[in-house]
Amino acid sequence: MLDELELLKKDWQKKEEHLPKLSYDQIYKMIWKKSSSIVKWIFYISIIEFILPHLLYLVPSMRNNLDIYSNLGLTNVFLVISILQYVVIFYFIYQFYKRYQEISVLDSAKQLTSNILRTRKTVKHYVIFSLSMVLLTFLMLIIGIYFSDNVLETLGLAGKMDSVPIEKAKFIIMASFAIFGVLFTLALGGIYFLLYGLLTRKLRRNFRELQKLEV
Amino acid sequence: MDKELEHRFVTELENNQNIVHKVCSLYTNDRDSHNDLFQEITIQLWKAYPKFRGDSKFSTWMYRVALNTAITLYRKSKKRIKTKDYDSLIFKIKADEYDDTQERQLKLMYDAVKQLGDIDKALVFLYLEDKDYSEISETLGITEVNARVKMNRVKNKLRTILNP
Repeated sequence: MLDELELLKKDWQKKEEHLPKLSYDQIYKMIWKKSSSIVKWIFYISIIEFILPHLLYLVPSMRNNLDIYSNLGLTNVFLVISILQYVVIFYFIYQFYKRYQEISVLDSAKQLTSNILRTRKTVKHYVIFSLSMVLLTFLMLIIGIYFSDNVLETLGLAGKMDSVPIEKAKFIIMASFAIFGVLFTLALGGIYFLLYGLLTRKLRRNFRELQKLEV
Repeated sequence: MDKELEHRFVTELENNQNIVHKVCSLYTNDRDSHNDLFQEITIQLWKAYPKFRGDSKFSTWMYRVALNTAITLYRKSKKRIKTKDYDSLIFKIKADEYDDTQERQLKLMYDAVKQLGDIDKALVFLYLEDKDYSEISETLGITEVNARVKMNRVKNKLRTILNP
């Protein structure tokens, strides 16, 4: 086998004359083209992931939810949680930016792959955090409904569920919020992790390969 | 980015473009993706060029950026994966038609190298380029001992591909 590889090496070095040859102008044009590297992709997708949950608040029905909070007596709780949430989000964005800056094509293959995966991991933790917040929001709504005396009015259902006893109506509403909350979170999580998996499959495979022998 | 820097970079790359072409020929299977990868490597080299200090040779520096781009940064599209199956099929038939045993052996070897994973390919590439283990280990970010062990495994892998 060794001899065969040596044979290949000799042939390989002769191959040079068959290689394509680009002119000065062709190369000059290339340096102004836009990169389509995996880092670019991860950067843009991450930005979308940071912004997307906040766009939800612009949806009218989401704003109505804010009214529901005040009617359910959750205004202060909501305010505190919002402040905490933004502190955490800014921490994540800072981390993401710092790690993104560390990515350098001049590192070794292993270091480079590891840095990209670390950057990606920051976003992954952010997404897990966001999903937990979504679940928490639903949980708060459910608790609010439980302690509220005028649920039907608040949710605009007055007159529509009159035939049902109030306790049962409350239970039905709470259960639907719970089911919807879980399904919503699962759907968002599913889409995200699918995207994440596809994007970093090659990176993770190569990184495992580079790590395999390290003790 | 001044004109002089541009000129120096393009001239150096023009003179050393063989390195990039060889990486492209190992990591892609058709002309379109070859050009695609060549362009991406050129962009990455250019972006990193201001950090090139000249304490190593331009070509040595190129190996790292080119391989990093091929292994880590470059994204293959689905269309190109299809072309790969098509290509290796032609490759096999052609190899069988060769009379000369040595030529045929070489064809089979190239085919086998192309089937290796990204990291193994990089090892073989640096070996074929006559790089020593210290440079191989530095480029990939593994220890020299591991580079040797890995290279032996790659040789075994090639042997199994050649003699199934």
